[in-house]
Amino acid sequence: MALTPTENTAVSATTETDVTTPSVPAPVISPDSPGIAPSEHPLEAPRLTPITPQPGKALYRQLLPGIMQVPADLLLAASRKSSLWPMTFGLACCAIEMIATYMAHYDLDRFGIVPWPSPRQSDVMIVAGTVTKKMAPAVKLLYEQMPNPKWVISMGACATNGGPYTRYDRVLQGVDKVIPVDVYVPGCPPRPEALIDSFLALQDQIMEERSVEGRS
Amino acid sequence: MTSDENVDTTNGEEASEIAVVDSLEDTIWPLINRVLSSVDVTPERGSIDLITQIPRSDIIRALQILKDNEEVQFNYLRCLTAVDNESEGVDVVYHLYSIPKNINLTVKVNLPVDDKTIGTATEVWEAANWLERETAEMFGITFNNHPDPRTLLMPEDMTDTFPLLKSHPFAEIEILQGELLGYDRENQGDDE
Amino acid sequence: MVIESAPDFETQDLLINVGPQHPSTHGVFRMILEVDGEIVKDLIPHIGYLHRGAEKLCENNDFRQGVGYMDRTEYLASHNAELSYVMAVEALAELEVPERAQWIRMILCELNRLSSHFMFLGAFGVDVGVFGTPFIYAWREREALIDLFEEISGDRMMYAYFRAGGLAWEVPGNFEERVREVLVSTRQGMKDFDNLLTRNEIFLARTKNVGIISAEDAIELGMSGPTLRASGVPLDIRKSEPYMYYDQIDFEVPIGTNGDVFDRYLVRLKEMEQSVSIIEQCLERLNDGPIMPERMPRMLRLPEGQEVYIRTEAPRGEYGIYLVSKGGNKPWRLKVRSACLSNLQALRKMSVGQYVADAIIILGSIDIVLSEVDR
Repeated sequence: MALTPTENTAVSATTETDVTTPSVPAPVISPDSPGIAPSEHPLEAPRLTPITPQPGKALYRQLLPGIMQVPADLLLAASRKSSLWPMTFGLACCAIEMIATYMAHYDLDRFGIVPWPSPRQSDVMIVAGTVTKKMAPAVKLLYEQMPNPKWVISMGACATNGGPYTRYDRVLQGVDKVIPVDVYVPGCPPRPEALIDSFLALQDQIMEERSVEGRS
Repeated sequence: MTSDENVDTTNGEEASEIAVVDSLEDTIWPLINRVLSSVDVTPERGSIDLITQIPRSDIIRALQILKDNEEVQFNYLRCLTAVDNESEGVDVVYHLYSIPKNINLTVKVNLPVDDKTIGTATEVWEAANWLERETAEMFGITFNNHPDPRTLLMPEDMTDTFPLLKSHPFAEIEILQGELLGYDRENQGDDE
Repeated sequence: MVIESAPDFETQDLLINVGPQHPSTHGVFRMILEVDGEIVKDLIPHIGYLHRGAEKLCENNDFRQGVGYMDRTEYLASHNAELSYVMAVEALAELEVPERAQWIRMILCELNRLSSHFMFLGAFGVDVGVFGTPFIYAWREREALIDLFEEISGDRMMYAYFRAGGLAWEVPGNFEERVREVLVSTRQGMKDFDNLLTRNEIFLARTKNVGIISAEDAIELGMSGPTLRASGVPLDIRKSEPYMYYDQIDFEVPIGTNGDVFDRYLVRLKEMEQSVSIIEQCLERLNDGPIMPERMPRMLRLPEGQEVYIRTEAPRGEYGIYLVSKGGNKPWRLKVRSACLSNLQALRKMSVGQYVADAIIILGSIDIVLSEVDR
């Protein structure tokens, strides 16, 4: 319809700028019909509106709103700390308290911590119990079988420095003589709440040292 | 035994020694004496059970008699261990129990300090197998003809010392990083 | 069932190392299996990975300090372990324990038997293959019992509550109501396990006629506890040589028939019911009174040249303490007769000729606690 300045301009103006009702019928899409460019498609064309970029704000945030930008190491550290899988390595009495922490009363699964028997697929090794000199080579072998990044929690007094059995010469006075330890938990045996606290401390430590070289 | 709790023990010991020899009639000593008449046995009254001392040369024969005899039938070996008496030698102790008759007996054998060998009791009870392995590696005793003389609890590279002998020392408590702990006063000015 | 192979088909036996770290070995236990296909030909156990020298260290400590080491020797049934040691010291020092302390000791020991058998049911269910449900049921019941123990002694696991002569301190005022409360939830837990496992077709197929040991072999090897009673031998120290006040209490001892894995499970389940009835009878007879004898010496010096062998019925078998004293306030020799070591000797005899998967179940049914095997 032609735009003529008559007394009926207001009525004709609304019908012309009404974009929701199409002026042409919807094309039939069939395998034989040729494709249509998005700028000519009746349903798509109205959505591709041109904008003028404003200075002071990143271009991608104006074009694609709803996207967050974070440093890569923060993302990696946050995902690693939220899904620590400990290897089930209970040696002695502390193992019973470790099992109690996994169970329904003091649930550890809500932190993403799932006990996993294989060292090849776990992140954390909880050394729970006394390490004797007969067992020490096995502990070292299991630590070396774990892939990086890996952490060690030394649970209980016996793994820290020998505990009540420190005066016997067949007992290794602390597991940190064979493997490097990140968190020490005191107690004989430590309460389940203490073990949960040690996991939270380990999570803080993972977030703090996320951009340190050498921690792959 | 006397039932006073706080009596001075030195006075009571002589009195109880005289009582020991007379009052063995109410224990199983007459029965054991009759069964082990061919063996040289010395009895003693223990806190609960009867304790008998048998010389080393007769021990396996005596244990076999105690197991097979119909009157006593000691078919259950409760415990087998040793006690180190320093200069007087090492005592090997057997605790026996008879399930049909419900009687207990303790048998002790003294070994001299320089010759700690004795026959094995696995010929009599199979339960003695692991118990003897453990006693051998803790005290340095050799059990002749043992079917499996390996170590049980010790690591393979620490078999030349015997922990439960009185001459074996306790480990010293290590003070880790002793000098580095605490404030290092001499190097205080370096960081500033 | 062995499949016949062609005469010129050569096979080789495989050596499998079920190493010290394995999800099903109940601790640091290592066994080397020689298998032909799936049948076990030979089984060589290696222990000693948790040998901590409790016997040697107790020679350096006072008689009253030994209780702490005995706790840690059997960490799932600490009250029973402390009981043997404390009874040995009392026998040598000739102390008379007051009546109220004895009844409370009996109640605590039977409660500990319940919590230890719950742990067995949970771990055994996991071994058989029911991964998850029995374990969580078991820990739900154990937490109720452990809360009660924490109210009484202050610790969840290593109680150190028994002393030579009686108890450390008086129980809280609401002891009887708390025990009855705990028994209600324990009964429900036992019924849950019964419904879940005992008549389950798969469980029966896996455990019936597996790992059989005869009564003569069991006595010859020195086994004790529910493992021995499942083979048909009616030996229970609480009945044959009663200690404390077990001769005044009315209870039965369940005996098995076949000596297989299912019987060991069923004997323990029935024992738990008997324990509940023992606790109720003890609660009726509990009276007021002191918990330590009036004239306790300040320093416990034992007479010279005395020795004693005390045996009690722990949940795993006969837990014996052999104590030699040569004067002074330290023991000269303390030997712990552990039930699990003697029971473990029979593992080879029970497993040879069975399938590999059955060897794991048989190990679980003996119910070992490694710190008692290795001390």
